[in-house]
Amino acid sequence: MSTPVAAWSRRRAWTVRAVGIAALVSLAATVWLGIWVTPPDQVQHDLVRLVYIHPPIAWVALYLAFGIGALGSVLWLWRRTRSPFWDRLASASIEVGTVFTALTLVTGSIWGRPTWGVWWAWDARLTSTALLLVMELGYLALRRVPGDPEARARRCAVAAIIAAVDVPIVHFSVVWWRTLHQGATVLNANLSPTIHGSMAWTLLLGFVAVTLVFVWMLLVRLRIETLEQALEGAELDEALQERWAEGDTEAALASPAGVGEP
Amino acid sequence: MSYIAAGYAAALVTMGLYAGLLLRRRRRLEALAERTGGDAP
Amino acid sequence: MWRDSVLVAGKDLRIELRSRVVLNQVAPFSLVVLVLFAFTLGPSRAPMAKAAPGLFWVTVLFAAVLAVQRSVSLESSEARDGLRLSGLDPAGVFLGKAMALMAELVVLEVLLGAGVVLFYGVHVRSALDLVAACVAGTVGLAAAGTLYGALAGGLRVRETLLPFLLLPVAAPVLLAGTRAWQAALGTAAGGAGDPWLRLLCVFAAVYVALGVVIFGPILEAS
Repeated sequence: MSTPVAAWSRRRAWTVRAVGIAALVSLAATVWLGIWVTPPDQVQHDLVRLVYIHPPIAWVALYLAFGIGALGSVLWLWRRTRSPFWDRLASASIEVGTVFTALTLVTGSIWGRPTWGVWWAWDARLTSTALLLVMELGYLALRRVPGDPEARARRCAVAAIIAAVDVPIVHFSVVWWRTLHQGATVLNANLSPTIHGSMAWTLLLGFVAVTLVFVWMLLVRLRIETLEQALEGAELDEALQERWAEGDTEAALASPAGVGEP
Repeated sequence: MSYIAAGYAAALVTMGLYAGLLLRRRRRLEALAERTGGDAP
Repeated sequence: MWRDSVLVAGKDLRIELRSRVVLNQVAPFSLVVLVLFAFTLGPSRAPMAKAAPGLFWVTVLFAAVLAVQRSVSLESSEARDGLRLSGLDPAGVFLGKAMALMAELVVLEVLLGAGVVLFYGVHVRSALDLVAACVAGTVGLAAAGTLYGALAGGLRVRETLLPFLLLPVAAPVLLAGTRAWQAALGTAAGGAGDPWLRLLCVFAAVYVALGVVIFGPILEAS
C-alpha cells in the first residue's frame, strides 16, 4: 500500500467516464422509448411503462449489488484470495446497492398504488426487499464504526455473509406467506412471452441502462473508498486545521487587541 | 399517467442526486490527495 | 470442539445461575410485554387469542435480543482476548455460547408460553407442535444471536446496533414460528404448520453451520 494514491491511471479514469456516458445515453433512450415510443399494455394500459425501470432497478439492487457485496466479502475472508480490494468492492457495492434497494421500494410502491390501490402491500417481493434494505442499512451502520480497518473489514464481511445467507430464507418464507406480485413474469431469464416486440427490446435496454448506471456508480464509489482509506490521516489533519483557524478568527473578532489569543 | 411520471422522476432524480454526491465527494478527495502528496501509509 | 463447547456453555450457565440476570430481569420484562399487549388488544379475549402466536414470538424475539446482550457482556474486552488466546476451538466457543443462550431462551419460552395460555385464553390443539416449533426456532435464534453478539461485541454502539442487526435476520423465525403456532393452536387460516416447522429447522441448521464455520474470523475481529 505504498503506491501513491493519486496514480489513477489515465486509461482507468477514461474507462469510468466512458461507462458513465454509456449509462447516460442508454438511460435517456430507455426513458424516451419507455414513455413515448412503446405501446400501452392491454391489461395495465400506460402503467406498464414502469416495467422498463422498476424490474431493472430491482434486479440491480437485489441480485447484482448485494451479490457482489456478498462475493467480495467471501473473497476477502478467504485467506487465499484476501486483498483489501475485495473489502472495498463489497462495501462500495452494498452502499450503492442500498440506494437502489430503496429506489426499488419507491418505484414498486408507486407502481403498486394505481395497480393494487394501495401504497404498500405486504406481498412477497416488497416485504423481502424491505427486509434487505434494513439489513443493508445495518451493514452501513457497522461500516461507520471507527476502528482498525482490518477489523472493520472482517466485521463487515461477516455481517454481509450472515445477511446473504438469510436472503433466500427470507425470500421463501415471505413467498409462502403471500403473493400479490405478478409471478416473476419479468424476471424470467428468457424474456417471457408475455411481453412482446418493442416492449421486450426496451425492457432489455432498461436492464442494460440501469446496470451501466450501477457499474459507473460502483467504480466511482470504489475510487472514493480507496482515496478515503489512503487519506484517513490527512482528512483529519485538514479538519483540525480548519477548526484551529476558526478558533483564531473568533478570538481575533472577540478581542480587539491581538490575533490568536485563546 | 402521473404515476408513471412520478415513478420515472423518482428513479432519475434519485440516481442523479446520488451520482452528484459521489462526484462531489470524489472531487474533494482528489483535491485533498493532490494537496497532501497522496502517498498511502 | 464439543468438549470446548461444553466448557463454555457451562461457564455461561453457571454465571447465569449465580447472577440470575435472565431470570430476574429478562423474564419479568417479557411478561410485562405480554401484559402491555393485552392492554392494547383486550379486554375481550377473542382478539388476544387470535394474536397470541404472533405476540408470543415477538416477545421472544425482544427477550432474545436482551439475552444476547447479556451473553456478550459476560466477557469484558480482556476476557475476549483471553478467549481468543486460550486455544479453545472457536467453533466450540460458538456452540457453547449458543447452547447456553438456548437454555436461557427455552426457560423464557416455557414461562411465556404459560403466560400466553393463561392470559390470552388460547386453546392448545397440539402441544407437541408448539414445543417443536419453539425448539427449532430457538436453536436458530440462539445461533444467529451468538453470531451477531460476537460481531458487535466489542463495539461501544453495541446496544443500539445489535437489535438493528439481529431482528431483520431473525424475521423468518418470527414469521415461521407464528404460523407454526397458529397451526398448533388451531387458529390458522388454512394449511398445516409443517412447511413452517421445516423452515424453522432449515434456518436453525443454516445458522448453526454458518456459526461453526465463521466464528473463528469473528473472534479475530472483536
